[in-house]
Amino acid sequence: MEAGLEHLSRGTGKHVGRLIAVLEPYYRSMETARNVAALAMELGIPDVVVVANKVRDADDRRAIADFCGAHGMRLVGEVPYDPRLAEVERSGGAPIDGAAGSPSVVAIERLATPLASEAAMPTLH
Amino acid sequence: MRIAIAGKGGTGKTTIAGTLARALARTGREVLAIDADTNPNLASVLGISPERAAEIATLPRNLMQRQTDADGTTRVVFTADPEALIREFAIRGPDDVQLMVMGKVGHGGAG
Repeated sequence: MEAGLEHLSRGTGKHVGRLIAVLEPYYRSMETARNVAALAMELGIPDVVVVANKVRDADDRRAIADFCGAHGMRLVGEVPYDPRLAEVERSGGAPIDGAAGSPSVVAIERLATPLASEAAMPTLH
Repeated sequence: MRIAIAGKGGTGKTTIAGTLARALARTGREVLAIDADTNPNLASVLGISPERAAEIATLPRNLMQRQTDADGTTRVVFTADPEALIREFAIRGPDDVQLMVMGKVGHGGAG
């Protein structure tokens, strides 16, 4: 979906079972995710979760955990910052092909089954 | 299960969405990926070549309509059968993931 909230506010999010708000460990990105999550819950999407992306270190992890904790956001996954990913995407290839086995791809693959399941996802913190 | 992925521009939604779609397809599920961005580029993350992606048909402008119910709620509804739309407008990529591109869809009705 588009970066902003236009799609959600138009009601095209109905019948969606789960919404993933993706955020990076910097304030504006986390704020957007917070707004997205709030709107998604207002629209009645049953399960609203957060996946952190481009996570580099313990400081990043702490900032994310603090923010999610403060705003009642359910953090269910962390994808590490991965320079191999940037390489693949520069060439226009699929990360799952060009960066197979790389930490970011593995982290995303690990999320697949729980994300598609009807059961509520376990939070990281 | 319908999963939506949203967030600030540049956070990695497309990368995560496309990679998730491929990973899910590998678990044996049927996966339909819908690119709702006005600058659609989910195809490349799915491993679909630019040439193949260029063949994706533009969805017709009257595909969806805004409908207002008696209680005032507004919904966006398909004017055609979704199964038929998938057959006609989706293309298959690696791991059999199907992709539809919504970017050029117009809405009939007000707004």
